[in-house]
Amino acid sequence: MSSTRLTRPGAALRRLLMFCAAAVLVLVWAFPVFWGFLTSFKTERDVLAWPPVLFFTPTLDNYRAVMQGNSSILPNLWSSFVVTSLATLITMLFAVPAAYAMARLRMRLKRTTGFYVLATQMLPPVGLIIPYYIVLQKIGGLDTYSGITAIYLSFSLPFAIWLMITYFEDVPFEMEEAALLDRAGRMRTLWYVILPQVRGGIAVTTIFVFLNAWNEFLFAVVLGGNTVRPVTVAMYNFISVEQTQWALLSAAAMLAMAPVIVIGLAAQRHIVKGLTVGAVKGGGRR
Amino acid sequence: MLLLAPALLVLIITTTIPLVYLAWNSLQNLNFSMPWMRGFAGLGNYIAMGSDPRFWNSLWLTIIYTGTTVTLQVVIGLAFALLVLRMPRGQGVIRVALILPIVLAPVVVGLFWRTLVLSPDFGLVDLVTRALGLGSYNWLGDPQLALISVISIHTWQWTPFAFLVLLASLATLPPDVYEAARLDRASAWQRFRYITLPLVRPAIVMVVILRMMTALSAFAAIYAASGGGPGSATEILNLYAYRTSFVELNLGYGSALAMVLLSITLGVSWLMFRLRRAR
Repeated sequence: MSSTRLTRPGAALRRLLMFCAAAVLVLVWAFPVFWGFLTSFKTERDVLAWPPVLFFTPTLDNYRAVMQGNSSILPNLWSSFVVTSLATLITMLFAVPAAYAMARLRMRLKRTTGFYVLATQMLPPVGLIIPYYIVLQKIGGLDTYSGITAIYLSFSLPFAIWLMITYFEDVPFEMEEAALLDRAGRMRTLWYVILPQVRGGIAVTTIFVFLNAWNEFLFAVVLGGNTVRPVTVAMYNFISVEQTQWALLSAAAMLAMAPVIVIGLAAQRHIVKGLTVGAVKGGGRR
Repeated sequence: MLLLAPALLVLIITTTIPLVYLAWNSLQNLNFSMPWMRGFAGLGNYIAMGSDPRFWNSLWLTIIYTGTTVTLQVVIGLAFALLVLRMPRGQGVIRVALILPIVLAPVVVGLFWRTLVLSPDFGLVDLVTRALGLGSYNWLGDPQLALISVISIHTWQWTPFAFLVLLASLATLPPDVYEAARLDRASAWQRFRYITLPLVRPAIVMVVILRMMTALSAFAAIYAASGGGPGSATEILNLYAYRTSFVELNLGYGSALAMVLLSITLGVSWLMFRLRRAR
């Protein structure tokens, strides 16, 4: 198809068009991030220079400032890390067995549970935050790691279950039938036969759960406080009504987003699957 | 059943019970700034919405915001996917560039745009308009521009998603159909209209619904970029429910607003479930 295309008169034009499209894509979508990256190495004076300076003497002062002293975001990175890791670990412990059950076991209620899990994933966070706030306030759970981690499960668990189901469904049914015929028992079959097959799926799911929890903002800003203050909330340290510290904000943002950028690029092949979870086949296939 | 029960229990505790509690609160007078007013309100909060111009404004903005962002994402995403599909080289670079916005936290995206991209005089957009002699604008300070700005921010962050999904879908289309169409002298537009579009329709429907869900629960980026302002120019239902509950401390009315948002979202997800089953 492409060989016949190149001999046609419109081929040159088409190539030009493609090149322009590619340039626009990269420029529009990557440049703001790259610009933030550059800004994080500028002095505040270079940031506000007109005309904008492309060549400047890079400085690490901003990074030093957001890692030491008063405006350090290291405690916030730690906060994010604790909440995110705890939430991810607990989510996976609950989600993997549940997804297996939903993908495999013959249950009359399977459709219903499937819709239930999907519906919980669709709930807008703003709707849930009000009851969370009232309840956590009553039981003293505001600004505690246990309280906020529990709340994070509300969005990470349905997502993880749905994503894991698609991986469990790819495991051939015959494999576990064979194991069951050898009287291996359900739990042993799951542990020794099925789980090794979905190792990749577990890794991908863990990555996405981590990513979503790391980027969470609304729950963190309302339910957190001085003890639990993830980086997404700490970004506001550098913005006030009077003055915005652009360079510091950029440096802090780069540090805060470094984990998700690295993880996202590493998992780029799986990103489409992770983002379309719940919408691609899965669920009631069997 | 033993395997499923713990997860379902967690979901019931963290989502369903709070939901019931939210519904209950929406029937109460629960205003922390007027604590003496507490008590059962019945449908009072919902009736109050009828004559609340700020509610109708936010509902209207939610529809505009969701409609335009989703349409833009699909149209731009599909157009670029069609162009990039035939690219012999360089798809890897594009993929990497486009994954960046998706993985960034929406609140960081909002703050980045508010400062580096849209701020008057020194933002990237103003650098361009100033260089072109078009002057400088207060992109987030002017009520009309602010709405366009928050729509652009959301579109910027999520178009790559539509692009990647549609590109993946286009790549699986059978080439022999196009060969046959070419032999029949079908024009490029005809090939697109009568072959490509019907074949990628399921993918488009899926993208539209998923993007609607995200747009309906969008919060952090607008909160960070404009805070719903200036005034209530970018105050979609989400922001209004948040401000009512946590700035004005009127949790009863905020709950009722959240219930409205919730019904809209559940309606869309019900539609999605129907479509999944139909396939």
